[in-house]
Amino acid sequence: MFSTTVLAQVVVNGIGLSATYILVALGFTLLFGIMRVVNFAHGAFAMLGGYALYYVYGSFGVPYIIAAPLAALLVATVALVLERLVYRFFYQKMFQSMIGLLGLDMAIMFTAVMVWDSHERSIPPTVSDILQIGGVIVPADKLIISGVAGAALLAFYLFTKFSRYGLAMRAAAQDMEIAEAQGVNTVMIYRLAFFIAIFMAALAGGFYGQTYALSPMMGERPLMMAFIVVILGGMGSIPGAALGGILLGFADSFLATFYGGSVSVFLSFGVVILLLIFRPWGLMGTPES
Amino acid sequence: MKQALVSIAAAASLGISLLTAAAPARAQEELKIGVIAALSGGGTGWGLGLQRGVQLAIDDANAKGGLKVGGKTYKLRQVAYDDQYNAAQAKTAAERLVNEEKVKFIFGPVGSPGALGSLPVTQPAKVLQFVDGYAPAILKNEWNGGYVFRIGNSNQEFAEPIVKWIKQTMPNTRKVGMIAPNDAVGQAAVPILVNAYKRQGYDVWIEYYERGSKEFTPLLVRMMAQNVDLFELNSNAPGEAGLLVKQARQVGFKGPMIQSGGAGVDEIIEIAGPLAEGFLKYDVIDAGLPRVKLFLDAYSKKYTGILNGLSPVYYNAAHVVLEAIRRADSLDTTKVRNELEKMGGWDAPVFGKVIWTGKEIYGNDHQLFHAFLIKEVKGGKGVIKTVVQSQ
Repeated sequence: MFSTTVLAQVVVNGIGLSATYILVALGFTLLFGIMRVVNFAHGAFAMLGGYALYYVYGSFGVPYIIAAPLAALLVATVALVLERLVYRFFYQKMFQSMIGLLGLDMAIMFTAVMVWDSHERSIPPTVSDILQIGGVIVPADKLIISGVAGAALLAFYLFTKFSRYGLAMRAAAQDMEIAEAQGVNTVMIYRLAFFIAIFMAALAGGFYGQTYALSPMMGERPLMMAFIVVILGGMGSIPGAALGGILLGFADSFLATFYGGSVSVFLSFGVVILLLIFRPWGLMGTPES
Repeated sequence: MKQALVSIAAAASLGISLLTAAAPARAQEELKIGVIAALSGGGTGWGLGLQRGVQLAIDDANAKGGLKVGGKTYKLRQVAYDDQYNAAQAKTAAERLVNEEKVKFIFGPVGSPGALGSLPVTQPAKVLQFVDGYAPAILKNEWNGGYVFRIGNSNQEFAEPIVKWIKQTMPNTRKVGMIAPNDAVGQAAVPILVNAYKRQGYDVWIEYYERGSKEFTPLLVRMMAQNVDLFELNSNAPGEAGLLVKQARQVGFKGPMIQSGGAGVDEIIEIAGPLAEGFLKYDVIDAGLPRVKLFLDAYSKKYTGILNGLSPVYYNAAHVVLEAIRRADSLDTTKVRNELEKMGGWDAPVFGKVIWTGKEIYGNDHQLFHAFLIKEVKGGKGVIKTVVQSQ
């Protein structure tokens, strides 16, 4: 069972899983980090990203390299209406946002049921090649997701660390009033962070819908994974989301392969519970003052 | 002003009299037909299939002027609740249908978890329930299956013949791998299939997962490390079965794959795409038969999208039940049940002659039996590989 080929396959699967988890969790952690909003409607935006890709790429035949970001852009743009109508009332209100946005999640989800019905459908694959490197099998679609997740992570990091807007975002996250006093337009910064977060969720949803299946309920699983990854890594921490995604992805792959699905779920959630007891701010988060 | 008030009063009284005059046209009474179906989550394909199959039978009856019972004519109306393929939700749905909607006939839920969850509500209330789940306890229970019928083959009926067919057509297979949901299906129905394989000398490896999972590659790698020759998809819902087929090929499983359970292959092709090629699947209808074609035409006239295999199963069952109500000439569920039990030989619209069976296994003849098919995915379509008769 513990042969080199199986171990190599576990690593490959772990990378694929981690990439998906990171991609889904990035937007979630950004919204919390900047605005203290627990976006329980994150999965719904991922689902909308999936449907947007279904039409832009699957129905209208736009080349994939354009279709994937365009679909995410469409969702993020339309979501700005919800930012004005809903999200703005929940900024810096962590607990209220949980319940309010859970309601929004359901409203979007069941609107989608009425529009598309709850039937599962698929987005045409961009690549269906299966690469074989040595004895290890690498599905090309997972390779693309890994590449996009890596690029998104890097872009995210560079943007928040080195750009003017990124600096403004970090300032607003630390202390909104002082940031405003220094001339930071927090309304604009919040809107920008929201736009980026929803763009990421929709992009991840496109990949998720293409890799698995598309349905109005498909956002539930990504939302749960994003929440676990972010809790693990530390709410609001981007490196934490990366670390949490990698840990969960590899743990899933290793434990499920060698000890089965039930052990994997039991241990993964067990570790999260222990972490919440002994280090509630997560692996790379900062404790609330 | 006074004149205006008089005009309004006159108009109002005219309106009331018009409404009253229109009332006799709506004298037909309404009979609610309950449906519990998975309308969200991994079992959605099945749930929609159930709901649509029942609706088409209701449409047939309403198109003929309604259902005549005890001197009254009833217009049928479907009342559906979502159980999310979950026992607890199914129980809640059954409670609402029985206690609030006051229905006497319920179709569904899909699968064993919901059926087992809802029986404690429907059976004491003597509400007739028609289900498809494979768990033996659905018919063999503390109520002796009193007011429940299984309206399609369970794997008790088809597992053995399928395994024998596999043994004949794939003599080199020795070890079977299964990845099954960790719920009532996985724990109660899958062992019947496992035993059927073991009785034919197969070595069976089985692993469970939590319902709702999407990523199966680690479990598939685990399965492949056991040197499995044949991947059996057992009772997985269409959404999960499609992903299992797709991901099995993506991690390099090259052996044959079969699903002995669940009807309908199109949803699996939709999800797995070209990777579904060669996949074998239990199914219930031969689209080439004229009686089946009639149903398919009615389906495509009303609905778009993929036809789930449970649609014809529930369409067939709903017609059998409506005929039993007509024969009983009553909505009393005990009388209808007694008529149902006597309906052997009646020519049902999809499966033909009704055959009730199950006494030896379940202690009652509330199991409908019908012949079935094994289809193979060829060129992106499910084509009939063989027609299998039960023992």
